[in-house]
Amino acid sequence: MGRYIIRRLLQAVPLLFIISLVLFVLMQASGDPLATLGGRQPPRAEDRERLARQWGLDKPILVQYLYWLIGNDWTLVDVNGDGTGDQPGTRLGVLRGDFGNSLVTRQPAMQVIAERIPNTLILMLTAEALIIIFSLFIGVYSALHPYSFFDNVLTGFSFITFSMPIFWIALMLMYIFAIRFKAWGLPYLPTVGMYDPVVGRTFAQVASHLVLPAMSIALIDIARYSRYIRSNMLEVINSDYIRTARAKGLRERSILFVHAFKNAALPLVTIVGMDLPLLLAGAVVTERIFAWPGMGRLFLDHLNRADFPVMMGLLMLISVAVVVFQLLTDLVYTWLDPRIRYA
Amino acid sequence: MATTEAPSLPVSLANDEIPARSLWQMMLRRFIKHRMALIGFFILVGILLYVTIGSLIFTEAYANYNDTSLRLQPPSAEHPFGTDTVGRDILARTVYGGQISLIIGILAVTVAVTLGTAIGALAGYYGGLVDSILMRLTEAMLSIPSLLLLLVMAKFFSGKIPDVNLLGRTFSGSVIVIILIIGLTSWTYLARIVRSTFLSIREQEFILAARALGIPDRRIILSHILPNALAPIIVAATLGVASAILSEAYISFLGMGVRPPTATWGSMLDGAYQYLEEAPWLWFYPGLLIILTVMSINFVGDGLRDALDPRGDKKV
Amino acid sequence: MSLRRLVLLLVVAMLVVTTIGPVAAQGKSVTIAFDQEPDSLNPMYTTMTFAGYVYALFLAGAWNYDADLTPNPVLVSEIPSLENGGISEDGTTITIHLKEGLLWSDGEPLTSEDFVFTYEMFVSEKNSPLTRDPYDKIASVEAPDPLTVVVTFPEPYAPWLGTFRYVLPKHILQPYFETDGTLDNAEWNRAPVVGSGPFVFDSWEVGSFIRGVRNENYVGGAPVLDTIVVRFIPDAESYLAALKNGDADVGTFVAYSDIPELEATGHLNVGVYVSGYNEAWYMNVNPETAHPAMLDVNVRKALAMAFNREQITNDLLLGYTYPAVTYWEGTPYSNPDLAAYPYDPAAAAALLDEAGWVDSDGDGIRDKDGTALSLRFVTNTRQIRMDVQVVVQQAFAELGIEVVLENYPSDIFFNSYADGGPIATGQYDFAEWSSSPNGFPDPDTIRFTCDEIPTADDPMGDNWQGYCNPALDALFAEQAKTTDYDARVAIFHQISQVIYDDVIWVGVWYDADTWILNSRIQNAAINGASPFWNIAQWDVTE
Repeated sequence: MGRYIIRRLLQAVPLLFIISLVLFVLMQASGDPLATLGGRQPPRAEDRERLARQWGLDKPILVQYLYWLIGNDWTLVDVNGDGTGDQPGTRLGVLRGDFGNSLVTRQPAMQVIAERIPNTLILMLTAEALIIIFSLFIGVYSALHPYSFFDNVLTGFSFITFSMPIFWIALMLMYIFAIRFKAWGLPYLPTVGMYDPVVGRTFAQVASHLVLPAMSIALIDIARYSRYIRSNMLEVINSDYIRTARAKGLRERSILFVHAFKNAALPLVTIVGMDLPLLLAGAVVTERIFAWPGMGRLFLDHLNRADFPVMMGLLMLISVAVVVFQLLTDLVYTWLDPRIRYA
Repeated sequence: MATTEAPSLPVSLANDEIPARSLWQMMLRRFIKHRMALIGFFILVGILLYVTIGSLIFTEAYANYNDTSLRLQPPSAEHPFGTDTVGRDILARTVYGGQISLIIGILAVTVAVTLGTAIGALAGYYGGLVDSILMRLTEAMLSIPSLLLLLVMAKFFSGKIPDVNLLGRTFSGSVIVIILIIGLTSWTYLARIVRSTFLSIREQEFILAARALGIPDRRIILSHILPNALAPIIVAATLGVASAILSEAYISFLGMGVRPPTATWGSMLDGAYQYLEEAPWLWFYPGLLIILTVMSINFVGDGLRDALDPRGDKKV
Repeated sequence: MSLRRLVLLLVVAMLVVTTIGPVAAQGKSVTIAFDQEPDSLNPMYTTMTFAGYVYALFLAGAWNYDADLTPNPVLVSEIPSLENGGISEDGTTITIHLKEGLLWSDGEPLTSEDFVFTYEMFVSEKNSPLTRDPYDKIASVEAPDPLTVVVTFPEPYAPWLGTFRYVLPKHILQPYFETDGTLDNAEWNRAPVVGSGPFVFDSWEVGSFIRGVRNENYVGGAPVLDTIVVRFIPDAESYLAALKNGDADVGTFVAYSDIPELEATGHLNVGVYVSGYNEAWYMNVNPETAHPAMLDVNVRKALAMAFNREQITNDLLLGYTYPAVTYWEGTPYSNPDLAAYPYDPAAAAALLDEAGWVDSDGDGIRDKDGTALSLRFVTNTRQIRMDVQVVVQQAFAELGIEVVLENYPSDIFFNSYADGGPIATGQYDFAEWSSSPNGFPDPDTIRFTCDEIPTADDPMGDNWQGYCNPALDALFAEQAKTTDYDARVAIFHQISQVIYDDVIWVGVWYDADTWILNSRIQNAAINGASPFWNIAQWDVTE
């Protein structure tokens, strides 16, 4: 088992290397951080030349990647523009835990990202909890009463939400529950943000701001998850061992919840395991609409400023999380299903 | 991950109700039995007729014709779906926008299927180092959230592809960009399916025999193994069209979609939602068409899955 | 299963997260909403317009601009002029007298030493400010006594009001600079807890808001408001919703087409203020990259006359603005004798015929010497610009001009010559965007001079049109040295005439800023250069 874990982790190293190289090249070629410095008094030609030198943007792309990976403290940076290096570099490189400084805020990239992680987790874990609770209910109910009126309605409903672009759902929810409800004099929900800055970060504030974005995200995935649970549950219910259990005269409740449900929930571990690390990425569209200060918005804002240290840091963090969670999922699976063994 | 697949539960293939018929008849029967799939199929046909017959009624020039004095007119007899922010007829634009949306969906999936099948087949057939490299690549793609990757790639390719003329129509380079990036980011699922089919079949006797007879690898892959993976490929491709149409809408919403004067349902929604209250017809019709199309494709895909997969028949 | 535990964990996590953080603030408060979040609150490290609006709440400068865009003394006792001796006879020395008893928000005195320090930080090799302009134009800054600052320029420098718009606290930043060797990573840059503006920086909830509280030591007396909150709402529809719902009191940069919707609420007042920005067509006249027709001034004039700009301003922008005539529209520097080129398609067609661009092969597109009149109209991905593109494409097609539309995301669109930016490298014939004089309300700009044309050897220039006119260069050089206001205005009238005659820059619309204020706000006097110049006097009714 230990050797299996070590082997899997070693396999991840070249994987992460490939990801980082490809992403780095893609990002460098898709925007210039200096070009995004707009405003009324943008840097002049001489300022941009100086900044390109100070930020290392004047180097060939593979050299920039090298600096990103192992740092540039072993070489000299040409700050005054005379063609020769004059000040030692200060970057340590990713391998020594330095993801570089954000070109936008000038803070360490990892600090910029870390500030957003709790916010994203509040939103995404709430949404994920809603998803699991509702989809279990819908999925199990549908499987127990397949093709009943309620199953058809739920299935139809989940197909509709699943087919909607999320921005559509999000804006509709905001329009109805924030704007129209206020216009009608009903209790209404806030439009944007995580809490009202004047009131402060209270539980009630965060909870009320959380409702609409979490519902938007949940509505779409409830459809996906409940379909999945329904078909697994159906398969299990019709399997021989459940028939045997029935034949033995076990109580229906105990058959369903002890035997059927346990086995049907097993594959859920896989998709939850695959989805959890991606939750870190936040929800780009939902966070943008509801001005939720999470990772998705961070990504969009910094993509528009071509801030590649932050984008690289964010994507690498997610990639590492995916690798770790894949391994964890496999291990949990072994634990839950003794039929599977790893050498 | 492939190692985690639980041994499949015993399945009885025989079904008393179905007398011996050809495979296709059986599938058709199952498909029709699937009511939702049938409804989806008819909606889909309706949408296809809408975008084809519509283009016989309205010319593309009419769809692009703007008259700013008719800005944001509500639906009327002359403009049944109203007009947009520069006074173009929304009905005609949903027709041509729909064509592009569907083309994007189908071509993006074609790219994805080609890539996914090729990668999955090579990895599954040759195994060893080829498999390791290709599967690492697949995992690399899977470990980046696809929307983030789409955005990075949309910026990477933007403006790099010129317009093309095809069948007397000009297609904006941005359409090709969208097709490419959606295709390039959505092949991983297919690659895994194809690979696992290949893994399970390549050691079977008829393949070993074919190899012994000296039949070239290419022919073994294409005509002996690949047909066995056809069913899941068809299902995945069908569902893929729906998600490609949605992806296009997301990219457009975030401002990186196709460029004017080309329209897609997604790009018609871009900006239109700013008139949520003021001009609901702007977003209602293209939005409805996206939802209908995606939903009906999902229904059909679901039906196909049940039809092509024998296990689908043993529902209570 | 672990589901119950997960829910429990979630609730606990929420409780923990939500109970830390600032407690409710009481008193009078105004919430400003912006659609972008500042990158830095140190003027050295940001060029963002919105960042400038925010740090102006926390930092005061020598002067700002009042509602009429007249310089308004803040830390100085009077604006230097030739009359009061603040500007030397030769125009090279500016002497600034500070008010007495100035204090930083922590109670430390604010003196001329802080001015010298500000200058030194901008020009130090150890710092990487985004722009050193205009501090690198200065020869020296001296502090003969705590209340006097003497700024010397090597030659007369007309836009001197661009210096010391904000002053940095030496007693806070000097120690950082000495330990770190640079100011680049100072915490103060994003948390200016000690300042001199009407409010003191209190907290920055990244991605959400920045909050400030009343500065009791503010030079003009403490503000009426207790707190100020700046919220960040990136999505346009959510932005409008927040204003309509009262979740924000002040908004800006709203599209003209959204104004009626906002006014309909009854509690929002919309104002339009000159900001120096004008939406315009930039004509490419670089012989190496432009379509040959673009090199002919009559063709450019024909393009200007073939384009019904009032159709754009009246129909798409609902008549809230009008076609801009010069780069300095709405300011005294714009030549009042000029009028926008009229929309006259017949005259435009005649000009094109005269210039030899006729449809000789009958394909509906004009041509000359085998070259079709097919022009690239390039802009970024802003919705209104894409709308203008399709309107122009259709209108020009009727005149036999084919228009090829291209769009790029902003950071690619504005990319430099060295990085192959489509405009900087001339891959366009006419392009549309909005810009303003760099030091607005100062009129100076570097956009039109010969030495700013980027080349392979000198790839960073700002003149992306390849326009070179020595006569215009001479005028620009002269105005930069003219410290006399009226004389400078006269030179700019000549400059705007030249640009108008050469049809290098064609204004599409006068792009004044929209500001939306909730009617509960009293005493606000917004302007387009320093909108919150009198925020200390703002009050709210409940």
